[in-house]
Amino acid sequence: MPVWLREYSWRQTPAAVYLSLPVRGVRVTPASIFCTDQYLKVSIPPFLFEAVLYAPIDDTNSTAKIGNGIIFFTLYKKEVAMWDSLTLANANKEKLQCLRENAILKAQEKAKEETEAKKVTKQEHKKYALEATMKLEEAERKRIEDLKEKERQKFTKELELWQKEQQDAEKQNRVRKEVELHQKVEQLKERKKEKMNKTRIPNEGTSKTGLKAVKGCHGSHSMFSENLKEEQLPPPRSAATIKTTFTSRVFPTALRESRVAEEEEWLRKQVEAQRTISADLSELEDLKEEEKSPDWLKDKGNKMFATGNYLAALNAYTLAVRLNNKLPLLYLNRAACHLKLRNLHKAIEDSSKALELLTPPVPDNENARVKAYVRRGTAFCQLELYMEGLQDYEAALKIDPKNKTIEEDAEKIRQLIQGTPDS
Amino acid sequence: SKIEKPKPLKCGTFGATSLQQRYLATGDFGGNLNIWNLEAPEIPVYSVKGHKEIINSIDGVGGLGIGEGAPEIVTGSRDGTVKVWDPRQKDTPVANMEPVQGESKRDCWTVAFGNAYNQEERVVCAGYDNGDIKLFDLKTMSLRWETNIKNGVCSLEFDRKDVNMNKLVATSLEGKFHVFDMRTQHPTKGFASVSEKAQKSTIWQVRHLPQNRDVFMTSGGAGSVHLWKYEYPAQRSKKDSEGAEMGVAGSVSLLQNVTLSTQPISSLDWSPDKKGLCVCGAFDQTVRVLIVTKLNKV
Repeated sequence: MPVWLREYSWRQTPAAVYLSLPVRGVRVTPASIFCTDQYLKVSIPPFLFEAVLYAPIDDTNSTAKIGNGIIFFTLYKKEVAMWDSLTLANANKEKLQCLRENAILKAQEKAKEETEAKKVTKQEHKKYALEATMKLEEAERKRIEDLKEKERQKFTKELELWQKEQQDAEKQNRVRKEVELHQKVEQLKERKKEKMNKTRIPNEGTSKTGLKAVKGCHGSHSMFSENLKEEQLPPPRSAATIKTTFTSRVFPTALRESRVAEEEEWLRKQVEAQRTISADLSELEDLKEEEKSPDWLKDKGNKMFATGNYLAALNAYTLAVRLNNKLPLLYLNRAACHLKLRNLHKAIEDSSKALELLTPPVPDNENARVKAYVRRGTAFCQLELYMEGLQDYEAALKIDPKNKTIEEDAEKIRQLIQGTPDS
Repeated sequence: SKIEKPKPLKCGTFGATSLQQRYLATGDFGGNLNIWNLEAPEIPVYSVKGHKEIINSIDGVGGLGIGEGAPEIVTGSRDGTVKVWDPRQKDTPVANMEPVQGESKRDCWTVAFGNAYNQEERVVCAGYDNGDIKLFDLKTMSLRWETNIKNGVCSLEFDRKDVNMNKLVATSLEGKFHVFDMRTQHPTKGFASVSEKAQKSTIWQVRHLPQNRDVFMTSGGAGSVHLWKYEYPAQRSKKDSEGAEMGVAGSVSLLQNVTLSTQPISSLDWSPDKKGLCVCGAFDQTVRVLIVTKLNKV
């Protein structure tokens, strides 16, 4: 039961209520004060003070000052009026309860609203910051664009000026050349006249050429200079051939560094394929067609294993491996043969190869993998390498935990190891 | 005015004509080399079925008032041969670089003239799709140097055709280009080079600025053009352990780049008259005229 604080004193003005509440011996924190617009509560275990206020107050602006052993409330009234008393007189238990609950709800709602408002303001601040940075970047971009534009205009003006200059220069050149040409033609004519006068032979040929030169002056007024130039050019080279060799490349496409790795891979595979085919041809010419298939050989091997002819089975499996060295079952079965023949090292080798080929470990090759581990484990144990054997048995168990025989064998090995700690 | 010919044209050059004649030499998809007078384009001035397959690249030297010596045109074709033609000699090339008998041919993708500083000297450089670059000397009619840059060679250009060979830029697939210093040839190591990876896509063409031979522009398969400047090292050649002269490559720095299109820019050229004016053609069927400013400050 809380201890009700009943000693309090209050005074009022038309606009506000001043309430002082002595709280002795306990520490007051802001969390212990709960106030809504018509309900005030101070709860500091074991003390409790509550008041259902006479009239609503403005709880956002009201303050509470926590001093040494006393709390001083300044409550601003919503309506300016004088209160008859601090609390409502007729407050029965139920009403009190209702009021309390309402008060709490109201407080929660207010808290929610406040967080919402905070969120909204935060968003707006972010937006503002973003817009500001965008504006800055825009300004920078515009500055660069303006610089570029200025350069562009400057250059186009220069270009136009330069073009004009060129045209003027060309015109002048043309005029000058025509003048020169005329002068030259004149000189020629005079010389020819002189010649004609001297020799008195009608040199029609030369005069015609002279006239022709004048006619054709506009299009090829540089004919003279061209003739001169041709004399200066060396004759065409004497024909010869240079033989070239190329850096060898198998593929007809162009060489790219990024494709070199792929190309090497492809070539390697081709070479390997070639090798297996050629291996076929050399020794197996006396075998019939069907006998060259690895599957047929595997079946044959299995049959011979079943009848106990382990050497023959071994031969069959070996031949099959020569034809196709990517089938894990061949190695698996060959490992079994080796075990029976007590070629323990070879058994280990073949089981290991089978395991390698059986990656990735999927449910499909569970059986095969279990067998491989068991066979390898057996081989290790027979070689007295019990630790390795146990490892393999445990791996087999991991794949197939329900197999009783494997479990029993694993147990046996463990006992063996524990039984001989020094070996 | 529009002129149409029966076979599509792949490449062309004004390099072997005089400034007055302005004949255009073209190579087409059928392997024909034609020289046209653009004012009378119906019948070519010179025509020869030079190659069995498309002429991928053409270059001309001896014209335009640049350099000395006979005007010559070189063509490189998918049939693996590089042939040098003289417009005054019909039907047969003056030089033929063809694969040895029985050798499988590689596409020749690009050709360039260089070292034409007097009437006798001339070299032709050819780039192939398997990354081979071969330098043929036309005076001695022999192979002077070859190398392989591990990617198909798309474009080759000497920085100047008409001087003692100074620099050669080779661009390739995979966005790489190499700048070779051609002044010092080592007997085994050849020419020194520096290479740069500009972008992920093919660099289709390189062109040096006519007004400054250390500035060049590359155009790329991603529709971008890059402007580069080459800086020479402190010493262009040094002696190696056996005392033979070895070239030292300098460094290349990117001045500017811009993306013009989403399609490859397959060819570009500078104006010899106005510094900074260039034109480029792209696969998006547009021809763009570009202006590069502030080249004086480079």
